[in-house]
Amino acid sequence: MITAITAGIDIGAKTVKVVILKGKDVIGRGMATTGLDQKESAEKAFKAALKEAKIDQKDIDRVTATGVGRMEAPYASSQITEVGADARGANFLNPAVRTLIDIGGEEGRGIKVSPQGKAVDFAINEKCAAGAGAFTEAMARALERPLKEFAELALKSTKSIPMNAQCAVFAESEVVSLIHAKTPHEDISRAVHDSIADRIISMVRRVGIEKEVMLAGGVAYNVGFVNSINIGLKLEVIVPEYPEYVGALGAALVAAEK
Amino acid sequence: MFDQFKNWYENRHEYAKEWKAKTGGKVMAYMCTYVPEEILYAADVLPIRVYGSHEASDLTEQHIFGMYCPFCRDCVAQVMEGRYDYADGVMISQSCLHMRQVYSSWEIHKPTEFMYYMPFPIAVESKHARPHLAAEFKIFIEAVEKWTGKKITVQDLDRGIEILNKNRELMREVYKLRLLDNPPLTGVECMHMTSSSQMVDKREHNQALEKLLKELPSRKTDRETGIRLMIVGSECDDIEFMEMVESLNSTFVADDHCTGSRAFWNSVEPEEDRLLAIAKRYLERPPCPTKDATKNFVRFHHVMEMAKEAKVEGAVIIQQKFCDPHEIDIPLLRKRFEDNGIRTYFLELDVTVPIGQFKIRIEAFLEMLRADELPF
Amino acid sequence: MSDIKRYKTEPLKCWGKAKELRAKYYREYQEARSKGGICWSGGAEAIDVIPYAFGDDVHALTAEPYAAAIAFDPEFAHKCESALESKGWARDMCAYMRNYWGSVLIDEYAFGGPFPKPHFNLQSGFCCTHAKWFQVLSLWEDVPYFNIDIGTIPFWKEEHPNRLQYIVDQMQDSIEFIEKVTGRKCDDERLIEGVYNDSRTTSLWAKITELNQNTPAPLDEKSMYSLYVFTTLDRARKEFVDFYEELYAETKDRVERGIAALATERLRLMSDSQPPWAFLRVWRYLEQFGVVSTGSIYTIGLEGVWDIADDWSLTPREDLKSRGVELKTREDALRAMADWHMRRPIYAMFYNADWKSKLMVQYAKQWNCDAAMLHLNRGCEGTSLGIMENRTALIKAGLPVLTYEGNMGDDRDFDEGRTVARIDTFMESLGLNKLT
Repeated sequence: MITAITAGIDIGAKTVKVVILKGKDVIGRGMATTGLDQKESAEKAFKAALKEAKIDQKDIDRVTATGVGRMEAPYASSQITEVGADARGANFLNPAVRTLIDIGGEEGRGIKVSPQGKAVDFAINEKCAAGAGAFTEAMARALERPLKEFAELALKSTKSIPMNAQCAVFAESEVVSLIHAKTPHEDISRAVHDSIADRIISMVRRVGIEKEVMLAGGVAYNVGFVNSINIGLKLEVIVPEYPEYVGALGAALVAAEK
Repeated sequence: MFDQFKNWYENRHEYAKEWKAKTGGKVMAYMCTYVPEEILYAADVLPIRVYGSHEASDLTEQHIFGMYCPFCRDCVAQVMEGRYDYADGVMISQSCLHMRQVYSSWEIHKPTEFMYYMPFPIAVESKHARPHLAAEFKIFIEAVEKWTGKKITVQDLDRGIEILNKNRELMREVYKLRLLDNPPLTGVECMHMTSSSQMVDKREHNQALEKLLKELPSRKTDRETGIRLMIVGSECDDIEFMEMVESLNSTFVADDHCTGSRAFWNSVEPEEDRLLAIAKRYLERPPCPTKDATKNFVRFHHVMEMAKEAKVEGAVIIQQKFCDPHEIDIPLLRKRFEDNGIRTYFLELDVTVPIGQFKIRIEAFLEMLRADELPF
Repeated sequence: MSDIKRYKTEPLKCWGKAKELRAKYYREYQEARSKGGICWSGGAEAIDVIPYAFGDDVHALTAEPYAAAIAFDPEFAHKCESALESKGWARDMCAYMRNYWGSVLIDEYAFGGPFPKPHFNLQSGFCCTHAKWFQVLSLWEDVPYFNIDIGTIPFWKEEHPNRLQYIVDQMQDSIEFIEKVTGRKCDDERLIEGVYNDSRTTSLWAKITELNQNTPAPLDEKSMYSLYVFTTLDRARKEFVDFYEELYAETKDRVERGIAALATERLRLMSDSQPPWAFLRVWRYLEQFGVVSTGSIYTIGLEGVWDIADDWSLTPREDLKSRGVELKTREDALRAMADWHMRRPIYAMFYNADWKSKLMVQYAKQWNCDAAMLHLNRGCEGTSLGIMENRTALIKAGLPVLTYEGNMGDDRDFDEGRTVARIDTFMESLGLNKLT
């Protein structure tokens, strides 16, 4: 029997991710920033994944697309929504996952995952709450620190400073006040991450938080944020090795099952 | 001098738990100051008003849609955190939709042995509201009697009225001192006094007030009064915010909100029919904007009178974000103030407030008021 | 997709008449003053039979439907909203109120010409905006205002004589008020006739929507939004009774002949709250998946009057005549009308999340719904009271739920792209693909 080679492509608002599967083994991953031309970005990500997999475009049997730009991938034979792909990917990575938190650049999602890897309920942040990813980046810039360093600072904080709970715009100006008040950067970082974690947890509670909980999306690399989420949820979330690829992986799995 | 009040305010739950242990009585957690506390005192039940804690919480989102006010969200958070688990009963006297939501979530997730929804009238100025409300009190009394197993007599009601009236009159005495050129108390101190009266046994509160009134008139404070401010708006027990404002050479000398004067301003006038008497008091009290809905604009008249009497120089209009009744009033109320030569500054409050941001704004407002004082 | 069952469909025959009647209503209000008649305004919940009793040249403008008509035209709505915002009012207040206020401030009627100032405002209030809405308007317009407080607990939940009496007493006062303002006398015979008509209109609407329990559904919710409006305009009017008689007969006929609103009906949805009026096309988008929205507690029960049993089951309430209620005096009429209107299911929304959850679960059962789509309506605190608790209750009852945020009256609060993306996700989780 020939093992099928399939690909999943996740065309998000900020980045495009591609995962290539041979059977159920990941043989390649690729990523590119979503530019004005989504098609071009998709191609770039695809090329990177093919290179890593050491195969040719023609070797791929089927492609499933996901993400906001999923309709921009004419070569995909099927599409799946981000929520569906996320649930599938998380289930594959760890079948015990019942709750998936995925935080992208512009949107946060909480997904209740069935033992079969289906999304049974989901919550997406409303218009008012700004994307967590974009918000942390803005805060890191305000402190004139690279994002990674900004995130790590939070771990050194010993003090939790409450921040305005509801409004991201106010939170941003509040950070500026904290800077002027010479608050240690560690505590500011912690406060920023706590405040985002707070909002995300509030939202995910709508679908109910059931163990195991997995954290997906690029924000999962942010140790300050993971720390705040763990404190807020009073448990340890699972952070997969490639958190930003969970959706693309889910899409590739769907392609493999077709 | 105000330590006792502050202490009660800060340790409200401990107080209630101790009260229960000491008296073996029942505690009624209530929402909105339209609850007839006289009847609860008559029934030997301790009414305590539900407050928020001004801490962010991630427990509310699943219960309340995002555009409900921070105060009601904060209240739901307290309930879900279990901070009111000691309450034997929960009741609401109908005012706004937001508090109805708190009551609903409470009823669904943490029902107590006594849950009561009192449909308080909106048309408080209608002559028909009084007999109707008195009848509502009667229905309520029957429910309470069934719950406590104790009949409420006329003597009981008189006792309730007396406790409440005394508390109101004593606090009015304190408020008179706020009218002085150099008031012997700050707005924050006053706030601790008024809010704590909604949290503890009013008989104890009355004792503390009597003691306070002996000392307060001759109190020497080392602070300057500065700009005389009034604070007007929805529920407001944001101590941190008020402290910040008063640290900028200003003093709150008057207020209109339900954690302050609006809740206690008038007393029950004795009448043969006790329930009609109590009803009159609640219908004629300074209204919450939800109850001020005729062309008479009763609330505005009351607020302006207060402002003038206290020689207020500026009014800080605060509002719980998303509070529609206040949002409807505010532009008109501000105009009333401005027409009477009193400048206003408007701020929206959230569960927690960005003090730094607000400080900059308040400083600018006070600077503007001081500039007004200059003779050239 | 050939395995999808296709039902027969037909357009509604009385559709044209509905449009005509609605246009006539707004025109008559506009022309009332110049023709020597009386024009008045108040909410959809105002007890409109009272002014009705003052003559057949008395014409109403009910506020919510008017504000929804404004919302339907975003360009005009923006003009209204910005007029209000520039005067310092917040944009998170009741969106209907803002649209209406704005229309008065810019002095433009949504159907052309200047805003026709009423002779008086008459409102009935049970939420915390209703009464204040007309308090401010009456100040601006400098017209007399009377509010009847109906903020007691709905009578299907609890009945106490004082609550009915309180409402009736205020209704009596409102008659005196109108007599004073208009110099006319209340015609008690006309009042009694109006009360019968009103109960007929609102009972018929309940009966019409009850027919949607059938599969396939004879009506889709988007069409229902255009049809239910008469229960909110001037319920006592004979022509509205007649229209509903016609619609009822036609809907019954559709059921008997198996005529569907949506040929490809394969999933039955229930909604909640007022829709975002500027985006009713979302309901058509759902149809691409074979989803028919059957209605909601809001659609059937805003003005439809139902009997709600102890187990929360819903049965259309027979109108007063059919119930053999004899009305002889003014007092009889007012009493019957107050009692009648205090039985609307809508009150569940404004008072108690648990009551509403129970009614929603019951609705899902009786109307055979497979899923729910709830509008987190930033424009109305009343209908979104407890909506997150409703969501949990429906999920507990086994119904998948989608929530989306929007605003009935202000399109700036609605993100169409993201809402459609949510619907796609929801459909996928329900195992539904687009049929086209």
